[in-house]
Amino acid sequence: MDDSTIICKCEEINVAEIEQAIQSGAHTFDDIKRLTRCGMGPCQAKVCSNLVRQVLRESLHKPMGEISLPRMRMPLKPTRIAALAGQEDSSSVISLFDETAPKAGDEES
Amino acid sequence: MTNKYDVVVIGSGVVGSSIAYHLSEKKDKEILVLDQSYPLSGTSGSTQAWVWVHNKTPAWYGELSMLSAELYPFLERKIGDVEYKRTGGIAPFFNEADRESARRLAEKQAEVGIDIDVLTREQVLEKEPALSANIAGATFSKIDGNVNPFRLVELYIKAAKKNHVQFSFYNPVMDIKRNNGMFEITTEKDVFIAKQIVLATGPWTREVGKLLGVDIPVKQVRGQILVTEPLAPLIKYTIAGMRQADNGEILIGYSKEEVGYDRRTTLDVIQDTAKMAVDYIPALAKANIVRCFAGVRVIPNDGYPIVGPIPTIDNAYIAVMHSGITLSPLVGTLMTELLTDGETSIDLKNLQLDRFNEFKSFV
Repeated sequence: MDDSTIICKCEEINVAEIEQAIQSGAHTFDDIKRLTRCGMGPCQAKVCSNLVRQVLRESLHKPMGEISLPRMRMPLKPTRIAALAGQEDSSSVISLFDETAPKAGDEES
Repeated sequence: MTNKYDVVVIGSGVVGSSIAYHLSEKKDKEILVLDQSYPLSGTSGSTQAWVWVHNKTPAWYGELSMLSAELYPFLERKIGDVEYKRTGGIAPFFNEADRESARRLAEKQAEVGIDIDVLTREQVLEKEPALSANIAGATFSKIDGNVNPFRLVELYIKAAKKNHVQFSFYNPVMDIKRNNGMFEITTEKDVFIAKQIVLATGPWTREVGKLLGVDIPVKQVRGQILVTEPLAPLIKYTIAGMRQADNGEILIGYSKEEVGYDRRTTLDVIQDTAKMAVDYIPALAKANIVRCFAGVRVIPNDGYPIVGPIPTIDNAYIAVMHSGITLSPLVGTLMTELLTDGETSIDLKNLQLDRFNEFKSFV
């Protein structure tokens, strides 16, 4: 791999960009992900995961076993919102309007 | 790296890095920022990053948010493109009965200069045609917007480094002692001495406060967010509950759960958030969710920011708040004034730590 080799095809991130993130202190795949978006695309790091770990191993001089995997995110495979939408209301999902609008009788502050 | 600093800031999230950057503009203090992990691994990297003003009540809190939002365009000229967009913000309501409280909100916020329009269904749909025809109306303000939190924190840190601020990452603070009026901060990697110390530790503030001998009344609240695949431009405004990023992804979510530091996503909240998405924007039913993430946010026990000196400890300061993204430019500016001159251009009396009855100090 040379500097311009694309590692993350979803977000078009190359080797040089990964190395630059490591130089600014990134130690893990997730650090690199947040700086470069590498691994945030539709494939969810399925393609780039081990390639990035390889660059980390070489830059940090650590064995592969010590380079952690990226955090896996639900739903693992792109899923339609219609398929996810539940029927019942949750108590933890709230409306910002309901939460913040002053109601009749609210004290003046 | 020397071990003596004028100021040590603990926490390099959006609040800590903003304070370090603004303070470094004066170029008269040696500054160190410590972080237990790497920037954006905590709260600042797990947010929709609205720069949200218009529903912040009471009005003094709305005013504070507005002043901070006003600083964003200048901040961007100084530190670079943080993808700040003043889109305007829409908070829809679904019952006609809510129009009255919407009007009351508009009246109260007008007193501090926040312009809010209370829109009819037709007016909202004209602005944002993708919204559901089931809404009854919305409050709208031009001042709301959003920003890319990754770019924001990264550029705060880059600009601070350019001004010679030192950063030490992956270096948790283990102990803080006071020694001849100085702070002795023991971290995993080293010991640092500081004249002034700033806690910008977000959800971890209780733990770090205890090292200083103070009990700071904050709680952790988890929020779960859905991210769609990149979509063609669908929503133009920042909507209370979702926003579309520059790359086309839509971020959706407005949930609150008190589950400590647990950052997992859960299927029930994901499903309910998906339902909220379709209730607001019916066209989203066909969009794919690529991933979900959760963030642990900090909320001071009464909901408002804690910014200012720690009353019982000389030269110790605190900046902890829920809306760190919205408030960071202002908080960085005010803390700089406070640490440099001992007074601020805006009165911090509403934000003082000693407003809490439950605030305890053991020193």
